[in-house]
Amino acid sequence: MKVEEVYQYAPTMQPRRLISAGVGRVPAGFPSPSQDYSDTKIDLNQMLIKDELSTFVVRVSGDSMEDAGIFDGDELIVDRSIEPHDGHVVIAVVDGEMTVKRLRVTDTGVVLQAENAQYPDVTVPELSDLVVWGVATRCLHRL
Amino acid sequence: MQVQEISAVTSNSNDLAADQKSVPPTRRADSQTYVALVDVNSFFVSAERVFDPTLADRPVVVLSNNDGCCVALSPEAKALGIEMGTPWFKISAGADQVGLVAKSSNYELYGSMSEKVMGILARFSAWIEVYSIDEAFLGIRGTLDEVQVLGRQMKDEVLRLTGLPVCVGIAKTKTLAKLANQTAKKVPELAGVCVWDRVPELTRERLLRRLPVIEVWGIGVRTTKKLNAMGIMTVKDFVDADPVAIREKFSIVQMRTLLELRGTPCIEMVYEEDPKEQLIFSRSFSQPVTTKDEMEQVLGIYAQRASGRLHRHGREAKVLTAWAMTSDFNDYQSHQPAATVSLPGYSADPVMLTKAAKSLLPKIVDGIRYARAGVMVTDLRDAGPHQMFDEFVSAHEMADVGELIETIRHEQGASSIGLGRAGLQRGPAWQMKREMMSPRYTTHWDELLEVKAN
Repeated sequence: MKVEEVYQYAPTMQPRRLISAGVGRVPAGFPSPSQDYSDTKIDLNQMLIKDELSTFVVRVSGDSMEDAGIFDGDELIVDRSIEPHDGHVVIAVVDGEMTVKRLRVTDTGVVLQAENAQYPDVTVPELSDLVVWGVATRCLHRL
Repeated sequence: MQVQEISAVTSNSNDLAADQKSVPPTRRADSQTYVALVDVNSFFVSAERVFDPTLADRPVVVLSNNDGCCVALSPEAKALGIEMGTPWFKISAGADQVGLVAKSSNYELYGSMSEKVMGILARFSAWIEVYSIDEAFLGIRGTLDEVQVLGRQMKDEVLRLTGLPVCVGIAKTKTLAKLANQTAKKVPELAGVCVWDRVPELTRERLLRRLPVIEVWGIGVRTTKKLNAMGIMTVKDFVDADPVAIREKFSIVQMRTLLELRGTPCIEMVYEEDPKEQLIFSRSFSQPVTTKDEMEQVLGIYAQRASGRLHRHGREAKVLTAWAMTSDFNDYQSHQPAATVSLPGYSADPVMLTKAAKSLLPKIVDGIRYARAGVMVTDLRDAGPHQMFDEFVSAHEMADVGELIETIRHEQGASSIGLGRAGLQRGPAWQMKREMMSPRYTTHWDELLEVKAN
């Protein structure tokens, strides 16, 4: 790529703006004493997301995880970078469906546990049969 | 080529850092610079499959605008004899019978998944050229064994974090990296990673002898016809041809391709600079841009992306350069218009940058097939309170239009709003027929992936 021409163009100036520019600001005056303290904000991303690239948000449908504090319509923050372990709330693929369950890995086998007495656990015959899509790290629940 | 000066492997990833502790690859005598080409397998289809497990192992096609024709195919769909460009109306009637699923293009989803992939790849090398939505060249260093391991890690990491399968081709030149990538896709034993120089000589020879010359990156239909007429049918024939004769018969471009196939780097990496010095937003188009109107839209989008990046880095610029170019491999036309504009003041304002980028438009010739365009901002400084001292601030800046747009884009996504034609980015999309579109899982709160708790 080479530069062929250099343009200089004039901005469209509106006199009104020059006047309004001064309102509420003192460009060369005494700076506000709070200025040094005002440069940070509470950033939810920073708190809720460890790695933006591996993080997805999903929405829950159903009440089988209520005892874990996950309700119908809640959003879950899912981090695919986390290796699933016993006790994690995971998004697993069961019969072609994305399902949220508590992962239980014991000597006797792998179980996808519901957190609601009305729902049965799903026993996974072979660990290799289990596809974990991601590990849920947070639940966004409306109060 | 600037390869030698750059130590490309960064150690953002902990795994990588651990690996390097024992044997720092850059110090080894047998360590060399290589080019890796990473691309997502059937990208659009794969992106759909990440969110819909019922699509796994089924034949799937993704349709072009207005559900016209197939622009992406799963291997299962290819096996049914469906080809790129097959019109949907021709196969829709029999689709159910063979279990074929069609999806409208979900650009929002593909764009956001592409950003994730590129972000992950950028952790492996500071030296990355995003070549298109689903492929990137990376400069890497190491011994043959080390780059093999690195290729493997790239593949595993992208799959783990995004669910997208990729193939990696690693070689001394870009053209060979492309060839290695194709090989990685075709030979299952390679498990998706092909380091060209590790393939046994005999196997390489056999491969080159089997591949028709049109398979080479940058060799088009017209060149192929001429080459065939000269008796050059396979890649091997081409590699063995006399480079000077090729240059005389064709041009320097084809000679460079030939030398690249022999392992001499001739096609430079285009990489994005450190935002401290300059900032470039540039992409190859999936389809050539051939009109001023389209180019205006492209430049608007790119300028606003550049503005977004400046905002993110807390920088502002004084000079903007916009350019467009035809493909290096375009035998018919060659046009590289560029325009540099000195802004009236330091700015990161999207209005200002868009206006400046459009200075290129008078130089765009309707009918020429542009393959790539870009916007570069230079003469950067930290954005700060000093901007209020500038006399030449644009009208929009004063009205805080730029900031407002940036806020909306931040909250609603990069393509939610824009200026001028860039604002129309989704306009046509709304009118577009996208009847079989999956939800925009990663960009819209009301279209999130549903997980069952039952």
